[in-house]
Amino acid sequence: MFDAIIIGGRCAGSATALQLARKGHKVLVVDRSTFPSDVISTHFLWPHGTSYLNRWGLLDRVLAQTPSHTEIHLVNDGIPLAGTVPVELLRQYFQQLHGDDTGVVQRYASVRRLVLDKLLVDAAVEAGAEVREGFVVEELISEGDQVVGIRGRTRQGARVEERARVVVGADGRHSFVARTLKLPKYDERLKCTFAYWSYFSGFSLGTAHMHRRGRVSIAVVPTNFNQNMTLVFGPSEWFESFRRDVAGNFQRALDFVSPEIGERVRTQGKREERFYGTVDQAAFLRPLFGPGWVLVGDAGSSKDQCTATGMTHAFRDAELVSAALDAGLSGRQPLDVALKQYESRRRSQSAAAYYDYVCTQAEMRPLRHDELQLFVVLRSNQEETNRFIATHGDIAPLSEFFQASNLMLLSDAAKESSRDYAVFADFEATSRMYQQNLFAA
Amino acid sequence: MNPTTTTPLEDDEIIGGLLMAAEKATHSLKGRSLEELLSTPETRETLRHYATEMGEAALQVSEMMRNWASHIPWELLISLRDGAQPLGDDDAVRALWSFFQEQFPPVRMALQEMWQPAHLRRKADPVEEYALDKNTYDFFRPAGRDLLKRTEEYYGWVEARRQTETWPYSRTLEVTPGSKAQVTNEAGRRTQGINFASQDYLSLNAHPAVREAAARALHDFGPHSAGSAMAVGNTRISEELEQALASLVQMEHITLFPTGWAAGFGAVVGLVRPEDHVLIDRLAHACLQQGARAATKNVIRYEHLNSEAVRQSLKDIRARDSRNGILVVTDALFSVDADWPDLITLQAVCREYDATLLVDVAHDLGSMGPGGTGVLGMQDLLGKVDLVMGAFSKSFASNGGFLASHSPAVKQYVKMFGGSHMFSNALSPVQTAVVLKATELIRSPEGDTLRAKLFGAVHALREELTGQGLTCMGSPSPIVPLLIGNEKLARTVYRLFFDRGVLAVMVEFPVTPIGAARFRLQVQASHEPGEAREAARVIGRSISDARAHLTSAFGSELV
Repeated sequence: MFDAIIIGGRCAGSATALQLARKGHKVLVVDRSTFPSDVISTHFLWPHGTSYLNRWGLLDRVLAQTPSHTEIHLVNDGIPLAGTVPVELLRQYFQQLHGDDTGVVQRYASVRRLVLDKLLVDAAVEAGAEVREGFVVEELISEGDQVVGIRGRTRQGARVEERARVVVGADGRHSFVARTLKLPKYDERLKCTFAYWSYFSGFSLGTAHMHRRGRVSIAVVPTNFNQNMTLVFGPSEWFESFRRDVAGNFQRALDFVSPEIGERVRTQGKREERFYGTVDQAAFLRPLFGPGWVLVGDAGSSKDQCTATGMTHAFRDAELVSAALDAGLSGRQPLDVALKQYESRRRSQSAAAYYDYVCTQAEMRPLRHDELQLFVVLRSNQEETNRFIATHGDIAPLSEFFQASNLMLLSDAAKESSRDYAVFADFEATSRMYQQNLFAA
Repeated sequence: MNPTTTTPLEDDEIIGGLLMAAEKATHSLKGRSLEELLSTPETRETLRHYATEMGEAALQVSEMMRNWASHIPWELLISLRDGAQPLGDDDAVRALWSFFQEQFPPVRMALQEMWQPAHLRRKADPVEEYALDKNTYDFFRPAGRDLLKRTEEYYGWVEARRQTETWPYSRTLEVTPGSKAQVTNEAGRRTQGINFASQDYLSLNAHPAVREAAARALHDFGPHSAGSAMAVGNTRISEELEQALASLVQMEHITLFPTGWAAGFGAVVGLVRPEDHVLIDRLAHACLQQGARAATKNVIRYEHLNSEAVRQSLKDIRARDSRNGILVVTDALFSVDADWPDLITLQAVCREYDATLLVDVAHDLGSMGPGGTGVLGMQDLLGKVDLVMGAFSKSFASNGGFLASHSPAVKQYVKMFGGSHMFSNALSPVQTAVVLKATELIRSPEGDTLRAKLFGAVHALREELTGQGLTCMGSPSPIVPLLIGNEKLARTVYRLFFDRGVLAVMVEFPVTPIGAARFRLQVQASHEPGEAREAARVIGRSISDARAHLTSAFGSELV
């Protein structure tokens, strides 16, 4: 009999397991994969994501083999911005969400799941959790409406049954736990991006670059093995035409958004793996807990990749849920009361606002005139640029930055003029051009 | 992830191939019984061929994708490529048959959904989508050289919101706004119900004495003030009103303005010059925000209610600028969040750094506090802050506003340089008489009774809403802000409120920050507690129905 069985041993699962095990709980983690193992992911950690790793004492291990930086470069329709997430905002984030701001770091990192997930699984084992790899869960055991354990097949093919006081579904977007419990999806937002990416060696842009033009975005982020995670994404409506010629359209997108980056990739880049792609990105929420079960990470709420916040949110959930489970399992609080608090943190108004923000971004509408003006305004205001970047990554609350009086004051204080940027020259014609499918034959 | 010399195909292409092979396999089975299949060698071969193709495809799918799409039984698909199964083995054919009949259909649907998601095939109501998705700010900076023509995009959105009945502005009252009201919306539909939309906290609009005062003033002076208060726009009751207000707020010098907006804007631009500084609470009223922006570029918006932030900013400014003025601006009762600052600290901090405090008492004066003295009275600060401004439009049953100070010089100066005092027609005689009578009532024992009734309804409403798990922001006050969050949800709730007879003001960006939409329920003394509780139950049901509607309208509708 375990205190907790965690289904899924990646970002949400192992992170939950290691924290519970460190608090003395008896934890079993099962995962169908054997590690190291890869999975579709932006594998980007925002500074609060790396801060979580640091709080758990794992950041040094990750950074020993992964490049990390503090400055992010954004270019929107030719308007460049660069900034760093401020320490104060990170502190405020941890203070507000977890009541404790230790271990804050400003670095972001792009870490392959092959590297990260293995490291997390190992850390869970070190902490005292039992981890069974290659384990396929086939059934949830219930007594009445209470989930009390799992049945499944071990790596060697043996059928086993294990019981626990709570079963944690950390099994991703297509969660077995959620499907088995027939949990409904709420707030579905079907419009999303399609994303295609691969790994290129042979060039370096230094830090992370994210460029956008019209309805297409590209990102080049240095990652493990001296490679660049090179990503192209656009509106799902263009997916069908894009995939008719993945390699050709990939390059076309790079050239369209940033001729310089397109040139670098074409002339110096060596693609080290196949192209990966998906349009399976529609956002949804699921109920987060019930009798004997709780969901963490993508299983409970999955969003589009466009803001690259999935892993960071999985870490957030892991810290929140392990605090709640510890309170419940140790008897300090009734379990359902503790999990209700976990739920209220994840379903707060600011979480709702961010969810809406990501879903809106994922529609990849061409940037509006006022949005572009805002980027021009931010160019002369580093403090607010940093706050914008922190807001975009879900570190600072949206309601603070995107407040009418703040935006008006920002534009009052603008020093640069929009005349300097080509996109404003014939804005209407440019906007119309952006609506045309770039990949249509 | 071993980089290979021949790069494998991209997953999507492989899954496309897998689905194609599955299609052909299924086709070869169409209309055939198991017996027929067993006895037709070519069909058996076709089936085996496509099954092997599917298995091969599944094997080529990247590890990344297989681990992501954990709902697809990849191992099972891969096992289809057991090409080794002898052609003559009937059991193998039977196994394939049952795989295609039973196990495969849901797998195919799941694969199909990943390969070609439903939303790419779905049709939604574009007008409703457009209406619910956009925000006012989307239109704040229209592009183009034609000032008039570029307003049309915004108008198109307003039309979409009107059509979908989610536009919360410009509804028309059919009768006197009391505790119940009858309104017509922009689509011409009429409804009646409990009225949380009017700002008449003490229900003085229906008070016989107020109406009589209005009638008498109309009879004595006519409807028109016929000029600026600086010219001959004032009447003798204007002076009486100034004295009555002076007694209420315990500050000797009152300047009247034709609207509350004019009072706030006029006070700030009257006093502040470009070299001066304004520190303003982020959530202070729009008239003050716009006044600050019009007066100077040196505007700091401090965190809501944070006196410490004010102290810090004052310290910073005084460290580099000892010559110019600093105006600190706050509301007393904030209408959007229903909370108030610690004015004692704020005033003390201002004195410490030679700054001036301006407090807007529009919502609380008359409606709360001892003898209707508002938050100032509650904090024992009557007559003790530098500047007080207010509006008559909430508790005093009329348009208009005022600025109060201890200084005759300030009064004369703002009258001349505030713009909105001098260059507007004065408060009309009827308005003046109404406000005068309202001030008397507010200060009378009847005022105490009305405030007690008002707060009886406020407590009932907040209690019932909170009991349903909803969030009422702030502290008990005539305004009960019911937090919704998402604009789309708020607009849909708004539409249901209309149908179900709850009249309430929805506020969204730019009044509130994006993602923090809410209903501002404005309670009146004439609301009965029972009535408020019943309304709260309707509100709760409407919110859950709207949530359900959005899930179905934007979620599971496939075709």
